[in-house]
Amino acid sequence: MKIGIKVLFLSMVLLLSAGLLFATGQPDGDSSSVVIKMGDNLPDRTVGLGAVAEAINEEFIAMHPEVSFEVESYQDQPYQQKIKIYATAGQLPDIMKYWSFSTLLKPLVDSKLVVPLDRAALSDLPWMPGALEGNVYGGELYGIPLTADFWVVFYNQAIFDKVGVEVPKTLEEMKAVSAKLSDAGYIPAVTDGKDGWPLSISYDNIFWRVTGDYSLMGDALAGKKPFTDPEFVEAAEIFQELFNTSGVFRNDLVTTDYGAARNLFGQEQAAMYIMGPWEMGMASDENFSESFRSNVRAARFPVLAGDEDQMDNLVAWYGGNYIVKSGSKHEDLAMEYIQLYAEKYADIMWDLQAGFPAQGIQPKADDNQLAKDLLSISASATATSGTTALDMLTPAFKESHQKLCKDLAAGIITPVQFCESLDQALQAALK
Amino acid sequence: MNQLFTSKKNILWLVGPGVLIMLFAIVAPILLSVYYSLTDWSGFGAKTFIGLANYKEVLFQDPTFWRSLYNALLLLVVTVFIQNVLAFILAAVLNQLKEKYSLVLRTIYFVPAILTVVVITKLWTNMMNPNYGMINKLLGAVGLEAWQHSWISDPKTALGAVIFITVWHGFGWALLFYYSGLTTVPQELHEAAVVDGAGPFKRYTAVVIPYMLPVIQAVIIIDITSCLKQMEIILLSTEGGPGNTTQFVAYHLYEQAFKFSRYGYGNAISIVFVIVALTITMLAQKYLSQANEKL
Repeated sequence: MKIGIKVLFLSMVLLLSAGLLFATGQPDGDSSSVVIKMGDNLPDRTVGLGAVAEAINEEFIAMHPEVSFEVESYQDQPYQQKIKIYATAGQLPDIMKYWSFSTLLKPLVDSKLVVPLDRAALSDLPWMPGALEGNVYGGELYGIPLTADFWVVFYNQAIFDKVGVEVPKTLEEMKAVSAKLSDAGYIPAVTDGKDGWPLSISYDNIFWRVTGDYSLMGDALAGKKPFTDPEFVEAAEIFQELFNTSGVFRNDLVTTDYGAARNLFGQEQAAMYIMGPWEMGMASDENFSESFRSNVRAARFPVLAGDEDQMDNLVAWYGGNYIVKSGSKHEDLAMEYIQLYAEKYADIMWDLQAGFPAQGIQPKADDNQLAKDLLSISASATATSGTTALDMLTPAFKESHQKLCKDLAAGIITPVQFCESLDQALQAALK
Repeated sequence: MNQLFTSKKNILWLVGPGVLIMLFAIVAPILLSVYYSLTDWSGFGAKTFIGLANYKEVLFQDPTFWRSLYNALLLLVVTVFIQNVLAFILAAVLNQLKEKYSLVLRTIYFVPAILTVVVITKLWTNMMNPNYGMINKLLGAVGLEAWQHSWISDPKTALGAVIFITVWHGFGWALLFYYSGLTTVPQELHEAAVVDGAGPFKRYTAVVIPYMLPVIQAVIIIDITSCLKQMEIILLSTEGGPGNTTQFVAYHLYEQAFKFSRYGYGNAISIVFVIVALTITMLAQKYLSQANEKL
């Protein structure tokens, strides 16, 4: 009896131990199937850039029926942090979307976590000038840009008509118009203030409006000019007034996230939405009302009064690179996918009116008004900025830049403190 | 069977796997974290050994760390001295009610505890929203427009707002613990106290609370760990802002490691934090045990 109990006891211990040892999950599927893991910031696959990605995935599956995609999508900022965590854990997806070369992609390249793409084959495609060069490092191309991005003011024409005000061309007009919009019960303007980067890009815009010379920002980032110089302080003062005290934005700006800002605008509670042309899909997004979709428009970021000749200076950059991880079991397929993506996405994106591709596009007669507005803003640009300041140096500088812009917008620091702290962050980055 | 469990070999077989898993799951990551904390490392790529430089920065050059520790301790104080007291009083009231009423109220008070952090944080941040939130709308409806406020965006009220959300979320658990504890207090003790002439207040302070000390001790230890490691509500509501007014240690170290790509520095914060948390927990444990023994 005693021996029987002992045997039973030891058998149970062994069984539990074996269970723990072999509890490693299910196999991926049958041996002929290939699962390509993909990561991006496009959780909604039915509209906008998510629908573009799905269309290309379907086309790729038609060419390779054995392939299936396992897509992991989150909102922009959580997604970026997830990729950093995956990189630390050695679990990057096979193909992924990632941004700015200096602050995000370069650390992956330096750590040999991503592979060079076929530059010769990809270069033959009709990219906009300089679109690929931003991702070339050591002579190798590491990512293909998805969109040509620039900073605009989306607005709802119906709200402006109802309140009887014109779309503002200057910051002064923006303040005056906002007072009337507020009186009529609307939130004048919204943006994603919680993540900070839209505020950082807006600071660049204002700085350019103040100085008329964006190359001064490059001088500062190269350490040739301190951020404490008067033009940076003046830009910070105008920025703080615009975002904190002018009444253009509500005082919950720094806790309003991307989704909340977009929804306030899409649900016609806010009259203006400061963002980039990747939001072009709003005009065809059936989650929003017909009234909104037919009235959404885009305008240039306002200038200072008297500086209307600067209207066509456009803060613009290439965004959203597609990259391939190194050591992927399916590297050949991933490369083929990138080639297909580069060949197809621009036409699909414009057909769906989902965004502004980094390749040349052919305007169509039935383009919606928002697409026409964005095309017009882009085509009339007399000067463009290139990559914005927050994405030019290190990840820590980027975070500091965003955090300082948030603090300035919240009125926690003064313009002088902002510039001094920015200078300290720059010195740390330049080390 | 007795022989089975008195055999040292058998005990080793039973305890060994658990100890190994604990070493693997708790001690090994801490040791690894100590190693990373001595490096300048982004989380991938080359590491540079920098000795104690990260610790020097945490302790002497990082005001955000001290601010976040202060906020965590403030949350702990509010939880222990306000949430617990209210939960105890309410549990005592519920204990006096008829079972059918008590059951309904207990269920209602416990609902926040079973909701996920995401739901309750989004619920409250939306209710506190100055544009469309219910709180400001209610204040407006009763003529208190002057009290309308941007609760989680204003540096003056943001910390209070996130502490309120955290305390509200944890209230149900404290209530449940205290209610369960109160139901175990023998009726004879109450009766003896009444015979000795004790009123309701005296009965609670002289009989019930001393009897409940082990429960209070358990609740306080749980409070210490949950308050110090608070992160989710901060991440989902303010991300530590405006400025660093609602920064908490766990979120600060996450931000340094995965936003600023300072993985080594994030690990140094985590090690300092582990030491602080262990010290506070042990001191509280010791003090509460001594108080318990005296009784």
